[in-house]
Amino acid sequence: MEILSKLHAKNLVQWAKDKPDVLVLSADLTSSTEIDLFRNTYPDRFISFGVAEQNMMSFAGGLAREGFFPFVHTFAVFIYRRAYDQIAMSISYPNLPVRMFGFLPGVTTPGGATHQAIEDISIIRSLPNMTILECGDATDVETVLDCAHAVNGPVYIRMLRGEIPRLFDKSEPMILRKSRQLSRGNDITILSSGICTEEAIRAVEALKKQGISITHLHISTLKPFNDSAVLEALSANKYGVITMENHTIIGGLGSIVAEKMAEQGTSNKLFRIGIKDTYLHGASREYLMKEYGIDATVLIRTVEDITDFRFNITEGDLKKVHIAPMHSDAKAEAL
Amino acid sequence: METVKEMEGSKTDINELNDTARRIRINLLKMLTNAGSGHTGGSLSAADIVTALYFAKMKHDPKNPKWADRDRFILSKGHAAPLLYTVLAECGYFDKSELMTLRRLSSRLQGHPDCKALPCVEISTGSLGQGLSIANGVALSGKIDNASFRVYVLLGDGETQEGQVWEAAMTAAHYKLDNLCAIIDRNRLQIDGAVEEVMSIEPVVDKWEAFGWNVIETDGHDIAKILSALNEAEKVKAKPTMIIAHTIKGKGVSIFEGKVEYHGIAPTKEELEIALKELEA
Ligand SMILES: Cc1ncc(C[n+]2csc(CCOP(=O)(O)OP(=O)(O)O)c2C)c(N)n1
Repeated sequence: MEILSKLHAKNLVQWAKDKPDVLVLSADLTSSTEIDLFRNTYPDRFISFGVAEQNMMSFAGGLAREGFFPFVHTFAVFIYRRAYDQIAMSISYPNLPVRMFGFLPGVTTPGGATHQAIEDISIIRSLPNMTILECGDATDVETVLDCAHAVNGPVYIRMLRGEIPRLFDKSEPMILRKSRQLSRGNDITILSSGICTEEAIRAVEALKKQGISITHLHISTLKPFNDSAVLEALSANKYGVITMENHTIIGGLGSIVAEKMAEQGTSNKLFRIGIKDTYLHGASREYLMKEYGIDATVLIRTVEDITDFRFNITEGDLKKVHIAPMHSDAKAEAL
Repeated sequence: METVKEMEGSKTDINELNDTARRIRINLLKMLTNAGSGHTGGSLSAADIVTALYFAKMKHDPKNPKWADRDRFILSKGHAAPLLYTVLAECGYFDKSELMTLRRLSSRLQGHPDCKALPCVEISTGSLGQGLSIANGVALSGKIDNASFRVYVLLGDGETQEGQVWEAAMTAAHYKLDNLCAIIDRNRLQIDGAVEEVMSIEPVVDKWEAFGWNVIETDGHDIAKILSALNEAEKVKAKPTMIIAHTIKGKGVSIFEGKVEYHGIAPTKEELEIALKELEA
């Protein structure tokens, strides 16, 4: 599998080349959010704030009012936890086109509870006017800018950095409000988002060999949530629906799907794989995914429980994942 | 610190402005009593400042509220909405009769300024501490665009306890926003009592100077002095200006002056009568 490094850094510079109204805002995490190259390339379009996230958010509102497109970059937690009121009143209420790039979603950082954004989707999706996008691979990261920029209002993006695998063909960009169909079948529907999609792909591959027929959709637009292909897939299955996310099951993809299923009157069962109402702690991503039950093996166990089959699939039967080193040139620090 | 020179403007101009400010106080109190709720003290304390801005200093056009070159006024202490509405109506942005709809169902005059309901309101405010940052963003936008407008922002002294205000103070100086002029309504009271007792913000002048601002202290009820301070601010290059306007909360009506309890309540009918007698005398 192709692994790409510091994709956003290069991509943003290229993408923003002919967009003078795009300004990049940083709160003392310039290298960590891969905007150092942008700063060096377009110093006049880079605005540094120091450690001052609340100020940065409302400032972005001021810029957006005057016709600019502020691309706010910081760790996700410092967006929605530190500056929630600023997002609500300076950005989302006046429905301004501010693009917020939240890095280190969920288990992607060993930084512990202060750095792990486990409830950002729950929090942000309850704000009117917000659009929420989440990247799951290199192609998503490369093409999310076009999706975000097509929205005439505020957008929150759950972003990836460092070494990122390419799961989806380079010629198939992320499309706003559309899921990606990765597998088609009628026993089970699996909806996955973010880094969980790679895990789901591994599990689905092994499950298919056992004769299980699966519809697998990768969700990148979490709000609004109205892709007809997804809504249809919620009832088009024999055993039920499984959601899988790098986020608390309270308010994230699992909740969104539960709401849709209830509203549609879908009588199928729903199983939510995600972080179970708990803070995480500092550890590697692989460890945390296993410890908190959001990896391929958990998905396989869940399918076994639903179908009452036992597959005897072992770790060794699954495709290997690329494990990025904790320290490397691809990341500014070991977070 | 700058010393404030006397304003060049003629006595009659100042008399007229004082008269306008008096009318504004009368109308805002009538509107508050009619609504039965709203912020009296902080509206009265800032009445001369906002009058000076809208009637003698700022470039603006009531017939064209979104005129691109207009000077921007941001009421960061959004609870002084009654003052802002009264000034805007007096300028002719909307009919004065609408003032009597304050805080009514579906009125454009919300308890805190709502720029979506009322386009002549620059920014919706009410959650304290955000106005100066927004003003910085607007001011830097003006710089990038080479625009001629100036940005004015009014803060409460209690409001400057918000950390965000100091983040914004650094930013304005860092980016040399000399097209920005902030004003603190230094009425020394907030909700819980005296600002110095609730959370000291002194030494105010030294703090803002230390943050890289040009600081001017002035009497916030002397319109001639307010205007000289505003003119002085415009001459200063490469620095934002902070005008510390010393005011009295509830100014203009003896029974409200310096009384913390009139922060967030409207005058009763009886109190309004007393107030009108004093103001119309
Ligand atoms: C973020 C936030 N916290 C609390 C309040 C409630 N509040 C409204 S006015 C006020 C006191 C403001 O004091 P000051 O800035 O001195 O205003 P003034 O005395 O001029 O009315 C408070 C705490 C608010 N509006 N926003």
